[in-house]
Order: sequence, then C-alpha cells, then structure tokens
Amino acid sequence: MEPIIATQDLKKVFRLGKVQVPALRGVDLIVQEGEFLAVVGPSGCGKSTLLHILGGLTNPTSGHVLVDGNDFITMNDADRTRFRRHKIGFVFQRFNLLPTLTARQNIAIAQHIQGNGFNPHRFDAVADMLGIREKLNHKPFAMSGGEQQRVAIARAVICEPKILLADEPTGNLDTENSQIVLNMLRALNRSFRQTILMITHNPEAAAVADRVVRMRDGRVVSD
Amino acid sequence: MVNRMVLQNIMHRPVRTAVSILAVAIEVGMVMLVVGLTTGLLNESAKRVEGVGADVLVQPPGASFFFGLTQAPMPIKIADRLAEIPRVGGVAPALFQFNSTGGLNLIYGIDMESFNRVTGGFVYHSGGPFEQPYDILVDDWYAKANHVKVGQNLSFLNHSFRVAGIVEHGKGARLFIPLKTAQEMSGALDKASIFFVKCTDPGYTDQVITSIHQLLPRYQILSVKEYMSLMSSNNLPAMRAFLTVMILVAVVIGFLVIFLSMYTTITERTREIGILKSLGASKTYIIEAILREAGLLAVIGVLAGIAGTWFARKVILASFPTLSIDLTIEWAGRAALLAMVGSLIGAFYPALRAAQLDPVDALSYE
Ligand SMILES: Nc1ncnc2c1ncn2[C@@H]1O[C@H](COP(=O)(O)OP(=O)(O)OP(=O)(O)O)[C@@H](O)[C@H]1O
Ligand SMILES: [Mg+2]
Repeated sequence: MEPIIATQDLKKVFRLGKVQVPALRGVDLIVQEGEFLAVVGPSGCGKSTLLHILGGLTNPTSGHVLVDGNDFITMNDADRTRFRRHKIGFVFQRFNLLPTLTARQNIAIAQHIQGNGFNPHRFDAVADMLGIREKLNHKPFAMSGGEQQRVAIARAVICEPKILLADEPTGNLDTENSQIVLNMLRALNRSFRQTILMITHNPEAAAVADRVVRMRDGRVVSD
Repeated sequence: MVNRMVLQNIMHRPVRTAVSILAVAIEVGMVMLVVGLTTGLLNESAKRVEGVGADVLVQPPGASFFFGLTQAPMPIKIADRLAEIPRVGGVAPALFQFNSTGGLNLIYGIDMESFNRVTGGFVYHSGGPFEQPYDILVDDWYAKANHVKVGQNLSFLNHSFRVAGIVEHGKGARLFIPLKTAQEMSGALDKASIFFVKCTDPGYTDQVITSIHQLLPRYQILSVKEYMSLMSSNNLPAMRAFLTVMILVAVVIGFLVIFLSMYTTITERTREIGILKSLGASKTYIIEAILREAGLLAVIGVLAGIAGTWFARKVILASFPTLSIDLTIEWAGRAALLAMVGSLIGAFYPALRAAQLDPVDALSYE
C-alpha cells in the first residue's frame, strides 16, 4: 500500500539575514494511512518545522515530500493552500480558535472555507464525540483550555482530513485535560482510522500513539 | 459565515468602527453640503434675478454671470438708447456694490422709478421707499435673519444707512440703496453694472436682443431664460475648481481613515489571519473578508452621512435662514459612490498584505 506520507532527505534551511539556520537536515519518514504517530525530541530539533512542511504551511528547501500523492516540490502557494484545505487538519498548542466567534462558528468556518457547506450530520457526530455540545454557543474566552482544545480538534476533523497534524496539543493543558484530549485523539484514530501525527514532549502522551519517532538536530534518529 | 465573522469583527472594536463610520459619513456629508450650498446659492441668486421681472440683461463686455464679481461699469447714458429700441417697455440700471463685512452681501444701487417700472414695484412689509440718500431697503429674509426693523441704522461699506423699508424678497438683491448714493460711494459717477430690460411683451425678447446687439456689439446680452440656464457651477470655473478640491479633500479623508482602520485591523488580527490560512483559506477568501468589512463600514457610513446631511441642512438653515442648500438624490448617489469606491481602494492594500502573510509567521505573532 502507498504510504500517506513519504519524505526523503527532506531539508529546510531558514535564512535570518546572512545567517543560515538549518532546521531539517535530511528527514526520511514513512507514515501509513491510519497510523497514530508521536514525534518527540528536544526543543529546536525541527519537529514543528516538519509538521508545517507536511501540512503545506511552509516550503521545503530540498528533498522529496509526498503527501497523499502530492509532491510539494512541484506545488506553488495556491496549490498548497488547496491541498491544506482539503486534506489537512491542524491542532496547535495554543488552541488558535478565532476569538470573536463561538465554538459552533469556529467549527463551521472550517466547513465554509472548504466550500462543501454545512454538514449537520458530520457536525453532530463530531460535537458528540468530543463532548462539546453544551459549549457550542460559547466564545473561546468563556471556555476552559481543555474545552477550547476539543473545539479545535472538532474544527480540524470536521472536513474529514486525510491527516490530522497536532503540534503539542496537550502542551497548555493540565494532566486531566491532557488525558481527555489524548483519549479523543485515540478514539478518532480508532473509530475513523484517522491518520494522526502528534508532536509531544510528554512521554505519557507519546505512549498513546502506535509508533514513536524520535528527532534530534533536524533528523529522525529512531523510529 | 464570512458575514458573521465580519459583523463580529466590527462589533469587537466599537471605537474603531465608530470612527471609520464617522469618517465616511463626514465624507458623504461634506460632498453633499458643499455641492448643496453652492448650487443652492446659485439657484437662489438666479431666481432672484429672474424675480426682477426683466426679459433681457445687458452687461459690459466680459462680465461674469455671477453678479458682484463684476466691477467694470457701463455709462448710464446707454439706458436712454436702450429705451428707444422698439418693444422695450422699461430699462432699469443697477450698480452692484459688494459688502463683505458681516457676511457677503450684494447690494443693488437702483433708481426707484425705473426699477419699479421693470419689476412692477416693491411690496413693502413695513416702511416705504427711499427718502434720503443714505436710506436702505432690506428684504424680509434679511430682516428676519438679522432682526432688522424700519428706522434702524445699518452700517455698510463704511457708511451708516437708515432702514427705510422692508420689502418682499425676490427682486434681484436683498439690499437696495439709491443709485446716486452707490455711484458716489464707489466713485463711479453716471455708471451702471447692469441694465434690466423689460419688453412690452416677453414674446419680443429675441427681437429686442437682436436690436441691442446692433446697438452694443461687444456687450454681453442675455435673455433671462439663457441666464438661468447658465447659472450652474459648470459655467463658473472658479466655483467648479472649488467644488472639485472640496470633493477631493472629502474623498481623501474617507480613504485615509478606512486605510488606517483596516491596516490596524489586520495587524491586530495577524494571528487570526494565520488561523484562517491554516484552515486552507485562499488569498481571495481573505481579501474578500477584509473588503466586505470595509464595505460594510462604508455602507453604514454612507447611510449615516446622508441622514446626517439632511439633519445638518435643517440645523444650518435654522441658524442661517438666508442660505439655501439644494440636496439632490443625484449628488447623494455620487457621494455614496465616491465613498464606497474610496473605502474599497483604501482597504485593498491592507487586504493584499493580509493575504500575503506567511501562515507560520502569522500563527506565531503575539
Ligand atoms: N521562521 C524561522 N526563522 C528562523 N529560524 C527558525 C524559524 N522557525 C524555526 N527556526 C529554527 O529552526 C529550528 C527548529 O525549530 P522548530 O520550531 O521546528 O523546533 P521544535 O522541535 O518544534 O522545537 P520546540 O520543541 O521548542 O517547539 C530551531 O533552531 C529554530 O530556531
Ligand atoms: Mg515546536
């Protein structure tokens, strides 16, 4: 079976004026559809950068990236935006909900951007699964961190993305809420065969995944 | 969905929203009022000239339609020669005096007898005709606006005048003094600025004009009908330039405020734009959202501006009854269009910048 993610000698160099900062120094990674992958490693080793490239938020500098059959090296900005719209769901450490919109509107705007309009069945299923029914009319400031993150997950999966990319989703949560969020990711992976790539610093969180990938200095050191 | 986001955004920053709306409203109001005032002034003074009741106006070569701007007087003897032309029923000379202290006032120096023959005579609300050289007649609007009573002294052109009578408005000027006095005051002895010519029947107007042309080839001779049609800002280059400048200033104010408002908005909402991008929002999506927001502000501003202008007109006319402000639907539409286009152009650069933000940078923006 074709892997859903395949990178080969993937490099990313940031330029800060005259200084070149190599963030990824040749990443080789294969992910199969339906896998729940945890990415761990010390701060600054390039985990977020890898995630941004896989989600089409940033260009790689060199190497090969195939995500669901799309070769990023040949894609322009608009192509990557379209790819992201239809195939990727992001979850961030800082929740990143739109502050002026309610939970319901935050989820609905993802469907609107995708262009398929509001799908009430999918919406109900996701809202029930993430246990956020009671909070749908609340704005982010009126929700706890755990609730906000569940809304963010709902927003990420509402359009049935091929891959859910989560960058330290429990980084801003207490143990109890972390556990709830991790259980939900687990459930999403189990019941919908949702492919998940999750960055974490937390060994307990990594333990929830099927597979743990360790990074150091811009490379994958153990798989 | 975008509309809901736009609505939430403009409600989220009420002061910014209010200032943007106010700027657009002022833009619209300024355009409508400036145009309304100038056309009002022109129409009203044209109507007053029509109200004199003459059929033909004779002015010196190169005179302006806009009386009072003309200073080159003609010999008064011409009146006698005009009176000899067949079908001419009356000729009234007038010498314009322009008073600029305490508001701008056009004063007609008139010869009562000939002026009455052309106009059919003043209707006196109180008092009566001139009795002495330094007597003045004021019209009822002027009297009301300035609380003038018969017998009172008014100071014009460094002279004190006694108010001899208050007359019904609509006969050329709002203020009249004896022709001789006007001539002496301006050192234009035996001169006149205009001749109001009345035909024995309005049907003879063209015929009389032809005869006057033969008599005075270089003079400016207009039927009152023509004069009325010429009294628009399009035919008055100075006024036209003034209008253009005022409209431009108004549009630039609206443009700049919307520009600044949307520019600060996108800076403040950099992270939100990053979020939209992470969800896969295209450049067009983001540009559209920002233009919609600016468009909504502009629409509200335009409506507030139009309503405010009607209200401002009432207030202005209550305090300055001699002014007239002609507001037209046409100019309301033009002002609205200018404001809308100006706002959208003002919002376009911020929108473009927002669309071009790097999503990762935007997401990490504090
Ligand atoms: N926009 C940027 N410009 C310059 N350098 C950058 C940029 N983004 C990341 N880097 C650098 O690239 C390297 C990898 O950063 P990255 O954010 O991927 O690390 P990380 O593994 O996610 O770290 P953390 O665990 O702290 O989140 C770091 O050295 C970082 O300083
Ligand atoms: Mg990181």
